[in-house]
Formats: sequence, C-alpha cells, structure tokens
Amino acid sequence: MITLAADTVPVSWSAIAPEIVLLGCACALLCIAVFMPLGLGRVASAGVAAGGFVAAMVVSVTQYEDTARYAFDHTLRIDSFGQAGRLVVFSAGLLAVLVAWGSPWLRDRAVECFALMLTAAAGMSLLVVANSFVTVFVALELFSLCLYILVALDVDSLGSLEGGLKYLIVGAVGAALLLYGSALVYGATGAFEFDRIAEAVRAGDNRDPLLLTGLGLILVGLGFKANAAPFHMWTPDAYQGAPTAVTTFMSAATKAVALVTTLRVLVVAFPEQSELWTTLLAALAIASFVVGNLAALRQTDVKRMLAYSTIGHTGFLFTAVAAKSVLGTQALVYYLVVYAATNIGAFGIVAVREREIGRPVQIDDFRGYAYRRPVLGVAMIVFMLSLAGIPPTAGFIGKLTIFSAAVDSDLTYLAIAGVVATMVALVYYLRVPFAMLDREARVPIVRNRSGMVPASLAVAVSALAVLVLFFIPGPLLDVAKTAGQSLLGG
Amino acid sequence: MTVALILIPLAAALIVAFLPLPRRSTEALALGAALAELALGIVALIQFDTAKGVQFAADRLWFGDLVSNADARFSVGMSGLSLFMVLLTSLGVFSAIATAAWIGRARPRAYFSLLLMLEGALVLLFTARDLVLFYTGWEAMMIPLYVLIGVWGGRERRRATFTFFVYTLIGSLLMLVGVAWVGITQGTFELDALQNAGITDAGPFFLFAAAFCIKAPIFPLHGWLPLTYRESPIEVTALLSGVISKAGAYGLLAWALPLFRPVAEDYQWWFAGLALAGLVYGSLVAFRAPDARGVIAYSSLGQMNLIVIGIFALNADGFTGATFQMVNHGVASLAAFLLIGLVELRTGTDLFRWLGGLANRRAALSTVFLFATMFALAVPGSSTFVSELYILLGAFRFEPWLGAAAATGIVLAAMYMLRWYSGIAHETEGERVDPTTPDLRPYELGIAVPLVLVLLAMSAWPSGVMERIVS
Repeated sequence: MITLAADTVPVSWSAIAPEIVLLGCACALLCIAVFMPLGLGRVASAGVAAGGFVAAMVVSVTQYEDTARYAFDHTLRIDSFGQAGRLVVFSAGLLAVLVAWGSPWLRDRAVECFALMLTAAAGMSLLVVANSFVTVFVALELFSLCLYILVALDVDSLGSLEGGLKYLIVGAVGAALLLYGSALVYGATGAFEFDRIAEAVRAGDNRDPLLLTGLGLILVGLGFKANAAPFHMWTPDAYQGAPTAVTTFMSAATKAVALVTTLRVLVVAFPEQSELWTTLLAALAIASFVVGNLAALRQTDVKRMLAYSTIGHTGFLFTAVAAKSVLGTQALVYYLVVYAATNIGAFGIVAVREREIGRPVQIDDFRGYAYRRPVLGVAMIVFMLSLAGIPPTAGFIGKLTIFSAAVDSDLTYLAIAGVVATMVALVYYLRVPFAMLDREARVPIVRNRSGMVPASLAVAVSALAVLVLFFIPGPLLDVAKTAGQSLLGG
Repeated sequence: MTVALILIPLAAALIVAFLPLPRRSTEALALGAALAELALGIVALIQFDTAKGVQFAADRLWFGDLVSNADARFSVGMSGLSLFMVLLTSLGVFSAIATAAWIGRARPRAYFSLLLMLEGALVLLFTARDLVLFYTGWEAMMIPLYVLIGVWGGRERRRATFTFFVYTLIGSLLMLVGVAWVGITQGTFELDALQNAGITDAGPFFLFAAAFCIKAPIFPLHGWLPLTYRESPIEVTALLSGVISKAGAYGLLAWALPLFRPVAEDYQWWFAGLALAGLVYGSLVAFRAPDARGVIAYSSLGQMNLIVIGIFALNADGFTGATFQMVNHGVASLAAFLLIGLVELRTGTDLFRWLGGLANRRAALSTVFLFATMFALAVPGSSTFVSELYILLGAFRFEPWLGAAAATGIVLAAMYMLRWYSGIAHETEGERVDPTTPDLRPYELGIAVPLVLVLLAMSAWPSGVMERIVS
C-alpha cells in the first residue's frame, strides 16, 4: 500500500536546501528573462547562476557530516556519499557556467541556458541522495528533460538538434525501462525505498523472477545514463552536437550522478543479489572498454573522441561499483572527482578553440597550438595524460585505486581488461599532445577572443585540481573513504 | 639532497617551457640547469659514505591506507648504484642539451623542457625507495620520450614512436598490475621492507621482468630498438642507449631481484641463456649494419645483454661487473652516439658508404673517435675491460661454458667497433666528405672531451667506482 498522506511525513527543509537554492535561482533567472534587457540579462543571469552554484556548494559543505540520516520517510538519505556527489555536480555546474560565457550561441539564450542548468543541477542533486525509486524517477526526469533542451539549445546548428532528438528518444526509452523495473520490484517487494526493499527481500524469496527482472531493467535504465555500452548509442551524437559548455556539464555531472545512483541502488536495495549484478556490471564494463576505446581510435573530431572515451571510462567506474566494498566506493568517489575535473578542462579547451576557429574542432586544429597558447596547450596535455592514467596526474592514482579495489574483490580479470583498454586508449589520447607539439605546424590566426578569460580560468582550475590531486591525494581519499563508509557502514 | 636533485630539472623544465625567452637564453638556461644538476650530483658523490648504505634519504607520507594498509610514500634515497645512475643521468642530459643547442633544434623551449622533464623522471626512478613512486618515475619518463621521438624524430618518426610506444607500454602496464599485487599481498610498497621478501610467486615476477627486459632490452624483446635508435634525434638516441636502457637493468637489480630472489634462481637459466643469445645476435648484426647508428644500436643491444648475463649470474662478481659496466657502457655509448651526431651534422648522413676518411687532417675528431672506439671494445686497461672481466668471472662461476660463450661477445665487439671506426675515419674519403668538412670545433670538444675524461678517470681508478657502487 502506498500511503500518500503528506501530512504524516515530516518535512525536512534542510535535506533539500541545496535544491531549494538552485530552483530559487532558476526562478529568479526566469524573472530576469522577462524584466531585463537582453544584454544586461546576460550578465545578470551568469552572475545569478554562478552565485547559485556557489551557494548550493556552501550549503552542502555546511551540512556535510559523517552520520547519515533519512528524510521524508526514507525517500531521501542524506549521507556524505550523497553530499560528495552533490559537490561534484555543483562544481561542474559552476565551471560549466565559466566555460559557456562568451560562446556565440549563448548570445540570445543565456538566461534560458543558465536556468536550465540550475534546474538540471537541482534534479541531479536530488538524485544522488534519493533513497526511493519514485524519487529516483522524478529527479532523473527533472534533469534529463533539462538536458534534452540544453543539448538542442544551439538551434542554428543541425548537429545540436539531431543530438538533442536522439538523446530525447533514447533517454526516454532508458527512463521507461527504469520505471518499469521499479514497478516490477515494487510488485515483488511492496516497497519503493531501497532499505525497505532489501528488508523485504531478506524476509522473502530472493530468487523471485519478478524481482530479478526488475533489477535487470533498472540496471539497464541506469546504464543509459552512465553511457555504458551497449546503451551508449546516444552519447557520441549528443556530446558532439551539444553546445560545448553543455557537453562539459553533462560529461562531468551526469556521469557522476549516474554512477553514484547505480552504486547506491545496487548495494542498498539489492545486496542479496550481488552475485548477479556483479556479473552484469562486469559484462557491461568489458563491453564499454571494448566499444568505447575501439571506436575512439577512429575519431578525428575531438568532442566525438572524448565522447567515446567517456564510454570507455564507464568501464572503469563500473569496475569500482562491482567491487562493492568501501575500497571500491572510495575509488569511485575519487575517480569521479578527478574525471569531472579532467573532462571539464578538456572540453573547456575545446570550447575555447572552437570560438577561435568558428567551427567544430578536429585533432588537426590543435597542431602547434601549445606554442601559440602554452598554458592551454600544457593543460590539455595534462588532461590527456590524466584520462590515460599516467603520472604525474590524478588519473594515475584513480586507476591505481580502482585496480586495487578490483584485485581486492577478486575481480582481477576486470583490472586486466582495464589495463588492455588503457593501452588502446593511450593511442588516441596521445594524438592530441603530438598534434599540440607539432614542431612544423603554423597555427591559424585567432578570430574570436570573447570569453577567453572565464573559460581559461575554468581550465586552469581543473588542471590545477588534476595535478594537486596527484601530489596530495590524501585529503580527497579520506573524504572518499568516509563517503564509502557512510554508504556501506564499517 | 636527493629531493633537490629531483626538483631542479623539473623546476627548470617549467621555467624553460613558460618563460618566453629567445633561443640563446633558453639554451643557456637549460644548460645551466643541467650543469647545476651535474654539480650537485658531484657534491653527492663526494659526500657519499660507502659505510652507510642508503643515504641522502627523504621520506614523507604520500597517500596512505589504500590496500591492506599499504602506504604509498614519497621515499627517496641513494644507494651506491642509485648515486652512479643519477650521475650518469645528469652527465647524459647535460651532454644531450649541449648537443641539441649546437645542432639548433626547432622549438627550443618545448624541446629543452622535455629533456629536463625526462631528467627529473629518471632521477626519481633511480632514487625511489617506494614501489608506487618508482612506477611513477618509470611512467613519467616515457611521456617526454614519446613526444621527443614523435615530434622531433626523423622521417619515419610516427612508425618509430608507435613501435616504441606499444612495446614499452605493454611492459609498464603489466608492471602496474604487479605493483598492485605486491601492495595487496605484502601490505607495503617500501623497498626496505620488501628487501629480501623472497616472494616465490612466478607470475608477478614476470610482470616486473617484462617491463625491465623490454626497456633494457633483453633478447628477443628488442623489436622496438633498431627503428627507435635510427629515427630519434641523436641526443635522444644517446640518452636511450646510454641512460634509459640502464633503467631496465636498474629495475632488475634494485627491484625484481630483491623482491623475487627465489623465482629468479628458478629461471636463472632462461634469462642467462636469452641474454647470451642477445649478446651474440646483437654483436653479429652490429658487424653487418650499414650505418654508424646501427652499429652502436646493435652493439648497445649486445652490451645490455652482457650486463643481464652479469646480473643473472646471481653472484657477487657478476653484480659488480654488471653495475660497473652499466656506468661504463652508459658513458661510452653516450660518447659514441653524440659523436655520430656531430658527423651527421657535417655530412648529413651516417651511412658508411657515404663516409670515410674523416681522420685525414682532422686530428681532434679522429682522436676522440678513437678513444670512444677503444672504450667500446674494452681495450685492456680501460674501465670497460675491468667491468667485462668481472661479468665474465661471474658467468664462469655460475657455469663455465656460459662464461666461455659470453667471451665471444667481446671478440665480436672488437671486430664491429674497428669496422665502425675505420668506416668513418679511415678508408677512402666518402662522397659526403670533402676537404672543407671541418674538424671538431672547441664547443664540440667541450661536449666530447668531458665524456672521454670521465672514462679515463674510471679506467685509472676503477675501484673508486666499484667500491661505492656495490655499497
């Protein structure tokens, strides 16, 4: 029985404070769109959006504590694992605002863009603390709908519209599967809340076909959002077609929330079926390694290459989830932070280059670029090394922790698959540094320089994060560990 | 001290890369940094106390409690072997930068910055006392190399980089799995704690050995070597042969053997046998190579395999010989390759059929070449003679006929080195050589003579090196 008696559920405003801040800022932006002239509105909206993300971050940090608590009758679980996910989303949002600023497509649509980004972030922020399939679905749809529009926001570009449409159709299928799976699980256990599902399963039959089908469908639904092969087909088109600032936001934030949710759902709601879903995750991880890395080899468009690389990285992240240990969760959180910083930086540089040459960026467009813009060039090399997991970048420590978690949980074959995938991946990642340092190339003259400063700032912050997290990984690893303990206990 | 030795080149790399100086100032800055590094290395040599074991140590927690409570530590220090490898590195990079400045490489800021980064990574890997840190240095060394070869290499640089890249990467990723394995099973990454761990699992040993044997390279894992040595900029080839190949031997000596001694004893024959095959094969091919680079490249293959024979004799004489030969061969092959570079600069080729007759009226050039030749072929009285003798002694102690077979390598070395020298310096004047081809300039002598002096000093006082290097 679902009891919809809202008056019996105590309202915990503090649990949803970050969402309230973000949605409040989004509403303020809609007012700006109506009452302010376009030019002033553009500046004001960027300011409000950045301020909103910073405020949400501050709220999350002040609420950050090691003890977990439930809110709204177990529909939310506020723990440091979820708060860590929230912080990744808000930082990604803030940096994406910086990257977006000055883009030509933003001229007429700045307010809408930032309002949608804030709303999407609110949805994501809700998703990472969701403890019930109803909340999961609502939050997922909230941010997905915003992202569909954001991807298609550059209405002058055919690729953007195509990407948005594909994302919409495929995303809707994914959401439908997730919903269907949730319904089946509810049918089998009579609960939507993760912890109650686990209790019901322990009390009853844990081989119930209804339950297992539901679990499978939920995993597939989440796989769509996590860019896991074979549910990745929307990724390259959406990433390539979307305005680059949106890609930046998606690649960092969507990825993080999808993985955080996957881990939470699996270990909290279905601990009894862990053998089954570990196998499924391992299969998806290997498929992602293969598809992502092999397809990326053939790309010449940088955004598309990075899109395929993100599919490959899902393999690593699923490996961490499949380890289902504190060490695995620690590895996941650390890797997600590093991955977010790396992708924001890499896409940020693509956004800058795109504005300079006024067309999509091919790898050849970076030929000799490091000599013209040494800071951006070196930063891009750092990002590529980090994606490949090579010291001295944080990506190396991320890979090391994930491999250790895998070996520790008897998933050595996944670690070895990851090693092979890395080898292939290096071939395409290193194309970028080779192009950047091409000694004979002559870099074309720069046309458009608007918005260089904020985008470069975002890139510099990301590059610094990637380097600092290599030299001083301790604090983040500690935070990641407590996050893992808050989820798994012990 | 050790930390400063690691940080000087890295800091200099950053400054050189980002400070928009003109070419001359960039070169001076890079050269100055390399010289400072060398000077500091010499200070370390003077202060080094043979009685004290690992010295100039620094140790800080890097990140902790990862697997089985194993901490990754920023732990560095110098054993005698590390000390000489660091000295070899700083000497090599200094000569390489001097040569690159003389040749005038395109895009000097990026080029010198990468060379200095390579130096920092090498020093880190030679002084690391923690496995994760060692791996970091190992990987960090590869990246500047890939770029140096892939961007500044010769006509077939793409293919060369790709081959080199695939070989070395397979090795280092296998080693990464080995690193994780050691951390989980042993609960520590520290060399001092792992020293004499006596691990008996063969699998992980081969994960490490693969990386080191590819880098050295041991026969038959040398497939990357000919193309890479031919296509790299000559200073990088000199570093590859003189210094970086030693990283492979160093890895075997300082990490693989102490950790996996029982396994190494089980497979002693395999490694010694393959190395013997490599020694003979490399020496024979060196004798047939049509180009000056090819001779030294294959000779380098043969010599590295000789060093591996010394290592896998697994006795004191073998170790002494192998470590001393690492230094000797390092300096000798640096000299040989850099001299080839100076010839290429004059004639635009290193093919014997275009060369010859350079000794005529070019006294300085032919003298320096002759010294390089004599050290490479281990003339009695030279330091290389001493070290090769020790290696053979070790091999005899292990198995007499192995020692006898390895001795043929030394005969072959005399043959190909004399062919190398006469192909360049004697015989009739080649097409690319004419009377106006200049002798070595004073600046060029400044690059070559110190290397020869180092070799002479080690010949005069071999025990000075040997008693420190084994401590």
